[in-house]
Amino acid sequence: MISRRKFLSMALGLIGGWIQTWPNLALGSLFPHFFFAQLKYSGGEWDPNPLFAEAIVEELELRTSIDARKERRVMQLTDRDIFFCPFLYMAGRYEFEPFTPQEREILRRFLTYGGFLFAEDTVGAKGFGFDQAFRREMRQVLPGYELQRLSPEHSVYQSFYLIGSFGGRQRVNPYLEGITIDNWTPVIYSQNDLAGAWSRDRFGKWLHACVPGGEPQRKAAFKMGINIIVYSLTSDYKRDVIHHPFIKRRQNL
Amino acid sequence: MNLNPITLAPVFPLWLILLLFCLALVQAAIQCVVNWSKLGHTRALTISLLRFAVIALLVIFALNPSVVTRKEHRISPAVAIIVDTSESMGQSDGNGKASRLKEAKALLSEGGSPLIESLSKKYEVHVYGLADSLRPLAFGDVPRLEAAGSKGDLSEALKTISNNNAVAVLLSDGNLKWDENRAQLLPTVIVPFGDPQTYRDILIKGISAPALAFRDRNLTIEVTVKNYGYTGLTLPVLLKDSGRLLSAKNVSVQADTGEATVSLSFVPSEVGQKNLSISIPQQVGESIVNNNQVNLSIKVVPDKTRILMVSGNPSMNYRFMRTALKSDPSIDLLSFVILRTPSDILNVRSYEQSLIPFPVKTLFLTELTNFDLLIFDNFNYSLYLRPEHLESIRKFVEGGGSFAMVGGPNLFDEGRYGLSPIGDILPVRFVEGEFYRRDSPMRVRLSPAGARHPILRLSGEYREADGDPGQLWQEMSPLDGVNLMEAKRSATVLLETAVGIPWPILTVSEQGKGRVLALTTDYAWKWYMGMVARGKGNQDYLMLVHRMVRWLTKDPSLDPVQMILPETAASTGQETDIRIRFQDGVPSRISDGAIAFSVFNPQGVKIDSKIKSTPQPGEYIVSFLPQNGGIFRIKVETPVGQLEESLVVAGPLEGLDAGPDLDQLRKISASTKGKYIPQKDELLKEIEQYVQRAEKQFIEEKRLPVWASALVMAIVLLLLCSEWYLRRRWGLI
Repeated sequence: MISRRKFLSMALGLIGGWIQTWPNLALGSLFPHFFFAQLKYSGGEWDPNPLFAEAIVEELELRTSIDARKERRVMQLTDRDIFFCPFLYMAGRYEFEPFTPQEREILRRFLTYGGFLFAEDTVGAKGFGFDQAFRREMRQVLPGYELQRLSPEHSVYQSFYLIGSFGGRQRVNPYLEGITIDNWTPVIYSQNDLAGAWSRDRFGKWLHACVPGGEPQRKAAFKMGINIIVYSLTSDYKRDVIHHPFIKRRQNL
Repeated sequence: MNLNPITLAPVFPLWLILLLFCLALVQAAIQCVVNWSKLGHTRALTISLLRFAVIALLVIFALNPSVVTRKEHRISPAVAIIVDTSESMGQSDGNGKASRLKEAKALLSEGGSPLIESLSKKYEVHVYGLADSLRPLAFGDVPRLEAAGSKGDLSEALKTISNNNAVAVLLSDGNLKWDENRAQLLPTVIVPFGDPQTYRDILIKGISAPALAFRDRNLTIEVTVKNYGYTGLTLPVLLKDSGRLLSAKNVSVQADTGEATVSLSFVPSEVGQKNLSISIPQQVGESIVNNNQVNLSIKVVPDKTRILMVSGNPSMNYRFMRTALKSDPSIDLLSFVILRTPSDILNVRSYEQSLIPFPVKTLFLTELTNFDLLIFDNFNYSLYLRPEHLESIRKFVEGGGSFAMVGGPNLFDEGRYGLSPIGDILPVRFVEGEFYRRDSPMRVRLSPAGARHPILRLSGEYREADGDPGQLWQEMSPLDGVNLMEAKRSATVLLETAVGIPWPILTVSEQGKGRVLALTTDYAWKWYMGMVARGKGNQDYLMLVHRMVRWLTKDPSLDPVQMILPETAASTGQETDIRIRFQDGVPSRISDGAIAFSVFNPQGVKIDSKIKSTPQPGEYIVSFLPQNGGIFRIKVETPVGQLEESLVVAGPLEGLDAGPDLDQLRKISASTKGKYIPQKDELLKEIEQYVQRAEKQFIEEKRLPVWASALVMAIVLLLLCSEWYLRRRWGLI
């Protein structure tokens, strides 16, 4: 015999699930100009820094003209709304389950047709756990392309700040990696746990210490975060002829 | 065997006839010997002679003798007189001489012994005029002949008249089209007109210029100058644009060829139709001055479409529009994104960030005219631009530039744009109390005008598959934010919200010489990713952006109306046809006045034109008769825009090379086995002598068979009957 409470909760669950899968309604939801959409996947730990968004969005609004929303939407690759997410964030500590063929195809279309993915290994162990699984999946999603170290000339280092030092909760790599297709890098990958450096509790206290550089390293993490977000919204516009000489002059100062 | 005038034509072989004759002779001799003893020698001889006479007659019949009579007949040849009536024959050769045509007419029909009259007494004479075409003339037409039209094709003319004429007499100055391989060898007697020794002229014989030039790229025009009587002179050749000198070079005409070529170059800086002229100053003693100038019309197009895009903030709208613009290799994009506003706080020293100064003065006061299109993407002008910058933008558009306003909350700066000089050129205006709305997603639909506008004639796979232009927009993702505006009366709404009040989303208008577009949403990028989410491509969004740019910058390939100008040069007095073709989706209703054609002469006056349809759907031919030379404008106005083209009509004598070409005449006479007769005193005699050679004669022959005579048969019968009677009388029967 099913209880009334159980019946109602099942009914609400079914309605919720139906609404979630109704394509027109899903496509009809509103999308701010910038918000974090975090990818939820099977296996591993998909959400190592659940409180990362607020501080970086605050910083973004304070420093830039970007119309951002302090909002984090959790998405799965099978959500059709994923195509309307300007900034797809993926993080993890451990190895995760391989994507299904359908998920790989969706992610391939998303990245090939203009979507952007920023992925972070928050453990920072090269060739282990999340790092190993993420590289494996990227090879499956974008065959023929490899994650490669982004050169200092890359637009992501110049999109807002002229990046001189690399921040993060940890300092595993003094560079970002990425997959570049033509002049656009739809996948940027960090192992320095930038989101860990951005994370703070509801009282404004930083959740993690940045080692070994301390607060300057956190500042650098924010700068890098802003640059990655600006890059995701402006592409390589800083490579335009009129901007490049200015940037070169400033870099040489 | 021919024994003229009697001819034998034996009906049997001759040996057989001789054999029969001999046998008959022997038989007659034997009969004589047998009868000799019975009847005596007189009677026997008589009967035998009678028999021999019959046999002899029969043998003669077998030989079939005929009487042949011959009579000689003579036929006078038909003579064709071809008078060259092209423009060059209207020229005189100095020293107070009459024109060449006038001299020719005098020779044909004036004086004591006019050539036509003299020849027609003896021969059948046909007269033709030759210029653009060959036309038969009555004798009475000759005095009224006028020099007009281009060089005649003599090869074709001789071919046409060769069936009815034995000899042609050509009166010309040698300015003819002649192709020996095509010519029928109708003997042609040539009477030349014009004197190369006294003829003086300088002309622009030809120009070599592209029909299309690129802005800011060097354009070279090759000019060929020819002279008669000015050899060695140095002449200036001037290239002008509506009276403004663009380039000039001196040319020295060489003695050996009489022709010289010079290259004139300039760099067109503006897009559009350039009406140019090339001229040489008039020299003393020139026969023709009109051929010292040539007009030409060249269309200048941008080699790359230069776009200046200013974006108010980094956004998906900017990135996807940039992606679309960058995907077109013909677009040269310069973009500025306002990364921080004055209210944003910078936490580093200026050299640690990549922001560069926004060079508003340089961009909007100095360099703006170097761009084809200015795009403001969600750009709040009031923080950066001053009234003079906005005024400069307005002038830029009215002078032929194009402007697009795209975006969301900052698109019209909460209505402040409406009060600025830009407000005058925008196709939309704010509704009181309504600004940007971002609440529930709104779908868009095609407006009636949008369904046939070139911007929205996207050829995506879905539209073609569904066969419904509106279907694509039903599939497009709804917009999360739109500006609530209303279109001005002069504007055309192409896309509007589909539910409730139809707010314009994509609106266009023409402003002065330029074009303006307003895309009143910052969520157009969802059209891109929405289609990708549906498993379809991004082509519709890319094509939409490309077509917006091409329409704004007046790319001819997007014109709904195509005008095809005549391939051959138009000239004064000749009906000129222009083909007008409407692309699919453009209403081509001429009858109800939805489409209007106008032709304007070089003075800007509208002239009469005729319109007729062709078997091709949506295709028409506009015909008009230019009465003078110069640059004519043809204008087509349709509900979706207008198209204007320029057509150069060569004026009278423009480009005319009227120098007598007597060498060509000699060549023609030689190749037709005719005669070149420069001396007009003995002309008639010379022509007659030549024509007489072409006289034709024939001999009429009649043949009368002898045996066909009844008298001969009667004699044979009489002889046989006499023999029979005597034999009976003398008791042999």
